[in-house]
Amino acid sequence: MSETMLIFGGWVAAGLTIFLFSFLYKDNPFFKTAEHLYLGAGMGWVFQTVLFQTWIPKVWDPLTKQGDWTVLVPTVLGLTLVTQFFPRVSWLSRYGFTFIMGYGSGLVIPLTISTDLLKQIGGTMAPFMVSEINRGNIWSLVNGSIIAIGFICVLFYFFFSVEHKGAIKKASNIGIYFLMLYFGAAFGNTVMGRFSLLYGRFDDLYKYSAPKYFYATHVILAALVIYFIVDHFRTRKPAVEEEAA
Amino acid sequence: MKNTIEKILKIDRRLIFLALTLLLVFPIVRPLGLPNKNIGNEVKALHDKIEGLPAGSFLMLSLDYDPATRPELHPQAVAVIKHAFRKDLRIMILTLNAGATGLIDEIGERIPKDIAPSKKYGTDYVILPYQPNPVAVMTQLGMDMFQIYDKDRDGADLKSMPVMKGIRNVKDMQLGMCITGTAMLDYWVAYTADKFKMPFAGGTTAVSQIGYAPYLQTGQLKGLMGGMKGAADYELLIGEKEKGTAGLDALSLAHIMVIALIVVANIMMLWLKYL
Repeated sequence: MSETMLIFGGWVAAGLTIFLFSFLYKDNPFFKTAEHLYLGAGMGWVFQTVLFQTWIPKVWDPLTKQGDWTVLVPTVLGLTLVTQFFPRVSWLSRYGFTFIMGYGSGLVIPLTISTDLLKQIGGTMAPFMVSEINRGNIWSLVNGSIIAIGFICVLFYFFFSVEHKGAIKKASNIGIYFLMLYFGAAFGNTVMGRFSLLYGRFDDLYKYSAPKYFYATHVILAALVIYFIVDHFRTRKPAVEEEAA
Repeated sequence: MKNTIEKILKIDRRLIFLALTLLLVFPIVRPLGLPNKNIGNEVKALHDKIEGLPAGSFLMLSLDYDPATRPELHPQAVAVIKHAFRKDLRIMILTLNAGATGLIDEIGERIPKDIAPSKKYGTDYVILPYQPNPVAVMTQLGMDMFQIYDKDRDGADLKSMPVMKGIRNVKDMQLGMCITGTAMLDYWVAYTADKFKMPFAGGTTAVSQIGYAPYLQTGQLKGLMGGMKGAADYELLIGEKEKGTAGLDALSLAHIMVIALIVVANIMMLWLKYL
């Protein structure tokens, strides 16, 4: 990438970041522009990636250079999905969807049951197996017990066919504490994740504030502050009008 | 006193944004170098797994993240690649997320410059093009990967590259890893790791890290990096300070601020209620 393009890219990145952050102060046309550009640029990027990295090497080249007509089968099946936009021939899309549904279900259902259900049940029971207990790993047993108790109590909390009273109510209440612990941990991690993303943008803004980028961050930030000041005075209601209101 | 507390509780939220901004920006301008003394067990497990692989082993690295999660996940990818090259592993980088291609280009440019200048493209590592339909790709990788990846990212024949010697599918690879901010890691575990008995590890955002604990417990994942903290832990383990470590100062300060605000706000609420 040439130096000029690098600097231009820095200005665009710094500008769009500051424009989007400006919403924290108040809504403005710069925010709206950046918001729309984000959507358009994202779609454009996906389109060109699919075109040049998938469609041309996987469909166009085999068809035109190697004379491989078999690629037309999945291509036509895929194109039938587009017929959804044309009511008169939209029935064709059923063939594409049928293929996706059949292929997807056949692949997903058995593997999901195996990975997310059977293996997890096995994992919950593993610490209580005779071979594990014989190893004398107390902490594994304690951890396993906590997980098993939490698992059963949370299941009771989500079991609505029996009235929650007596022992079931107690188990269900313990389940709530386990859920609260999970939500607390998840929320803590979410906060950390969001701060990391914010830090990432500030780190980039700092990079673009360097002389190499002709102080892009400083210039754009100052211009935006001036805009807000001018806009404040421009849209301010006259004092007489304010009093009347 | 009561009036003052009520006024403080109605503080303009933009002042909190400003305080947070200052706290996050300050360590960027003037790094504090706060220590990282708690390395996650799951990060250490991943490090030990790669450390234990013999030279020449094959690492499949699926980088399925886009610019939105770059600050958390890019340092993870760079740290793992650095470690793998130091251990003389062969690396195959691929992506099933169209938004990741630009970030992979960036890594591709950095490898000969500063990540591992001695490593040769095609001999030590290769970058594959983006492919849509993740589930189909993952399934095919378990049978004959050249049916779906016959060329590398630049259109060169993949099968004839020295880096691919002895590799036909994921069963010939010693470790797979997916770094993602989406549910792609779930797919990799189900459709590749479990189905073809491939050792697999992951790197995720902090938000989704908790959800992968069950996979660690059952051994379906050999290790996991979560968020910027995971990247910082890994950088510490391999002795390379990069963006993950640099971000810890800012995160620590921001967390202290959040904790302080929660404690102070709760004390004020209790004061208003009971005193």
